[in-house]
Amino acid sequence: MIPILDWALLPLLVVLSSFVPGIWIMFLREDQHGLRTGLNMAGAIAKFVLVILMLQGVAMGLSYEWRIEVLPGIAFSLVGDGLALLFVTLSASLWLVTTVYAVGYLEGSPHRTRFFSFFSLCVTATTGLAMAGDLFTFVIFYEALTWATYPLIVHRGSPEAIRAGRLYLIYTLTAGTVLVVGAVALFAEAGTLDFVPGGALDPEAVAGAPVRYLVIFFLLLGGLAVKAALVPLHGWLPTAMVAPAPVSALLHAVAVVKAGAFGVVRLLHSIFGIELATEMGVAIVVAMGAGFTIIYGSVRALNQDDLKRRLAFSTVSQLSYVALGVALLLPASHIGGLVHLVHQGIMKITLFFCAGVLSEVLGVKRVSDMGGVGRRLPLTMGAFSIAALGMVGLPPMAGFISKWYLGIGGLGSDLPWVVPVLLASSLLNAAYFLPIVRTAWFDDRNSEWKDSGRGAFLEADWRLVLPAVTTALLALGCGLLAGSEWSPLGWTLLLVERGHL
Amino acid sequence: MSTLEFVLLLTPGLPGLLAVTWPLRRLRRALPRLAALAPLPALALALTPGAEGTALVLPAVFTGVHLALDAVGRAFLLLTAALWTAAAWYAERYHAQDARREAFFGFFLLTMAGNLGLVVAADILAFYLCFATMTFAAYGLVVHTRTGEALRAGRVYIVMAIIGEMGLLSGLFILGVASGGVPLFGLELEATWLLLGGGTEAVGGGMGGVAVLLLVLGFGVKAGLTPLHLWLPLAHPVAPTAASALLSGVMIKAGVLGWLRYLPTESAYPLLGTALMVIGVGAAFYGVVAGLAQGDAKTVLAYSSISQMGYVALGVGAILLDPGVAVLALAGVVFYVLHHGMAKGALFLSVGVAERLGTSQPKWSFLFIAALPALALAGAPFTGGARAKAVVKAVIEELGGTWYAVLDPLLLLAAAGTTLLMARFLVLLERRMGGHTDEGGALGLAVPWLAVSAVGLAASLWLPLAYVPPEALVLPPLRVGLAEAAGPVLLAGALAWLVWSAPERLGALTRFRVPAGDLVVLFEWAWSRTRRLPQEAFLSFGEDMVEKVRNVQRESHEYAAWLAERDLYLMRGPLLGALLLAFTLLVGALLL
Repeated sequence: MIPILDWALLPLLVVLSSFVPGIWIMFLREDQHGLRTGLNMAGAIAKFVLVILMLQGVAMGLSYEWRIEVLPGIAFSLVGDGLALLFVTLSASLWLVTTVYAVGYLEGSPHRTRFFSFFSLCVTATTGLAMAGDLFTFVIFYEALTWATYPLIVHRGSPEAIRAGRLYLIYTLTAGTVLVVGAVALFAEAGTLDFVPGGALDPEAVAGAPVRYLVIFFLLLGGLAVKAALVPLHGWLPTAMVAPAPVSALLHAVAVVKAGAFGVVRLLHSIFGIELATEMGVAIVVAMGAGFTIIYGSVRALNQDDLKRRLAFSTVSQLSYVALGVALLLPASHIGGLVHLVHQGIMKITLFFCAGVLSEVLGVKRVSDMGGVGRRLPLTMGAFSIAALGMVGLPPMAGFISKWYLGIGGLGSDLPWVVPVLLASSLLNAAYFLPIVRTAWFDDRNSEWKDSGRGAFLEADWRLVLPAVTTALLALGCGLLAGSEWSPLGWTLLLVERGHL
Repeated sequence: MSTLEFVLLLTPGLPGLLAVTWPLRRLRRALPRLAALAPLPALALALTPGAEGTALVLPAVFTGVHLALDAVGRAFLLLTAALWTAAAWYAERYHAQDARREAFFGFFLLTMAGNLGLVVAADILAFYLCFATMTFAAYGLVVHTRTGEALRAGRVYIVMAIIGEMGLLSGLFILGVASGGVPLFGLELEATWLLLGGGTEAVGGGMGGVAVLLLVLGFGVKAGLTPLHLWLPLAHPVAPTAASALLSGVMIKAGVLGWLRYLPTESAYPLLGTALMVIGVGAAFYGVVAGLAQGDAKTVLAYSSISQMGYVALGVGAILLDPGVAVLALAGVVFYVLHHGMAKGALFLSVGVAERLGTSQPKWSFLFIAALPALALAGAPFTGGARAKAVVKAVIEELGGTWYAVLDPLLLLAAAGTTLLMARFLVLLERRMGGHTDEGGALGLAVPWLAVSAVGLAASLWLPLAYVPPEALVLPPLRVGLAEAAGPVLLAGALAWLVWSAPERLGALTRFRVPAGDLVVLFEWAWSRTRRLPQEAFLSFGEDMVEKVRNVQRESHEYAAWLAERDLYLMRGPLLGALLLAFTLLVGALLL
């Protein structure tokens, strides 16, 4: 142990590692490219290293907590426990990759200082809420995330972007208010906001005031469901895809929607506890809402010709696998849900990276224009294909692992309808992903490519191609090596074993 | 890791490794020549005496992959590895001038990895992983020519494959829940079936029947079980010849292996067993009738496969019906698969040879050799086919009673039908022959083709003794049933010759044709019709709903915007400050 460093500070350092660069960048001049990129990369790498350190500690059985009392009974606390690390590791590693991608993607475009500043702040908020040790801290970062993301969504400044940004704010601010009200009510009623594995609430107290707790639950759920894009609160997400590709990638895979989904996990597992939630009959409501969202999102994705829009509806659908999984009683389903939190992130970020490469390099934005792009961009489309097949849930890609545990969990929890929902979703996923893959590889070129032809090293700028390839390999590796200790599945199994769920 | 274990690992590993080197340009160019080496570990493993019992666990891979070789697996591995080796050699020559050669071999190797892997997979998910890899990689083989016909076949293939996968996966979910994990084949799986059959007490109790049905159907798509065979007569003919041979020779057998591996052999499911047997007999005839009405040699072969898989379904149905006959029926099915795989492989390969046969090359000796596997399929005496049919007969004899009384004459009739079908194939093959100016083309292809023919013919005679599980040494000796075997072949042969020598005797019947893919055409027609009516109605309904929801959304947005504006207006300066202060005080008061 290094004496000057208190290990309990690790969670705080993880948050600061992107906060400091974020603030620093804000004061840079637009033309200070080198310093800006250096700060960004240094922050991303530092965060990654810190998270790996923490990961090892937690694997050895340690846990990290940093807290300061704000008000009596309310503390600002950052906790590095198993569940938090699942999410933090995801966001730290994907942030590193996305930073490289964003630097390449935005090269030569205006307002990069603003962009990268908020980019870092966005990740700060995400890691903060991932490690939030209680609902108070969670709410702070949840709101911060809303504000940090808005400038990214409207980055292009086009009327369309402004409109999407306004819609985003209307949805998320309303949701934030509802969440705050729910949190205040919870504190007033239960006197605690702490996250406790297995549930923080006393079942007897809940039984004493069932209606009040029911209202609290739905207030909190309502506040979280908007970011988790549960139908009918998903409207902002497909519109927000006007943002630049790296933002969409972060939005859909790491930050905003994941914050919502993770919030639902916390709500069901660390506040109410899944047994209590099932007893109250609210878990089944979440499960059914998620089931409906899974199907609805996929059906809507079917007839979207705009690639990014199709991917956005796919997010709506896939994200609800997480909510579905954690709302069921059986450990197998929790494993499926939590592991999908990671798997969906890795696969979806790959898809958005590829969509960005297509529009940036070839100017291809619509599915119907994608004929033959596989021959021009084999690495990119190879990555896309792996991620798309993973979304369908084909073995050995990561998506299959999630589906397997969810199916087992659904059937075992005496909710056999989960299986048809999963199968229908797989079929629909196949119906809207496989034609893209087929068109890209087997059809002839059918549109004008702008083909700026930059980058002699690879098929396009390496900063765009390599991130996509990396995450695609991760998506493959998470499935192919799922049995290993360090895979997301291995980590989740460890959590279950230790009783963290 | 012992040598055998290492070879076991290389069985799927080597083709898989070669397939993933595809992005490296230099290696990719060498793939066509390396492909024939890829199945060699598998072949070596299958030929090593005493290799049964070799097992390997890879806990970190996927959900913990278990590989093992047992007697049934060894028989399947021999067939699979042998045919893949020959087909790889054949394909290297066949695609020598093909511009898309490299893409072909990429898919080829990936399909091979899946196919060889599933034979040695020992747990249900490892099998499923390999099975899916094979299925989806083979799409690239089916659509290789990129013609409209090939793309249509590919579409039907992939849609049916996905439906099959879904059935399979739901069956696996039930097995997984009942066993609380990923059961291994054999004892663990049987125990799971006992739980599932056991009614109420266990998780998933009473779902045994559903699981059996789902698995039968899920693998049935791959095995070409009527009426799930629709993709087969479309995909097998359009694929390049080497791939056709593999599709019909070994890949549909993966479905059969799935049945043998997953389905219970100790719990009886009489209803499903009976249904499968009836479907099997029906398919044996249906394949013949629909096949006779085809105008293309490869399509005839595809329908013959459907017919032959009917016999296999019969055997599998018998296992479900009465676990008492399981040992004999298992041996029968394994033997049938070996015999049919090699013979059908040789027949498909002969089509490619025929196409490239030069004008001066010996037509009649070629036809004579090509006819040998056809005779074997028809069950002529002294061939593996005769023996295979004798085993099937032994199984139904064991079942006894009505089954024997009804099935015995029916199977004789079906054997005559197969002979006719083979005669039809030879006629069409003869029409495809010759006219090629490049004399070397056929020679290159002839070696692997002759090898498959020879090995197939020879192997069917001694294979059952060496490769079928020891319990199954009860196989009838070769001479038994000689007269019975000769009967239908001679009868049908005479009939075929009569028709061939003077086709006008059949009159209008000669013009009777069934479109390849039979029912698929109906579905496509129905789809193109129904698309208009309900879909349009559904879409407009959907659009209406979306519009309504949008209106509500828009109104609420406007309301929110209105509210926000008022809000901002109200909340300027002192008012905002006062409100904030009040809010803080309120929160403070609440907290205290």
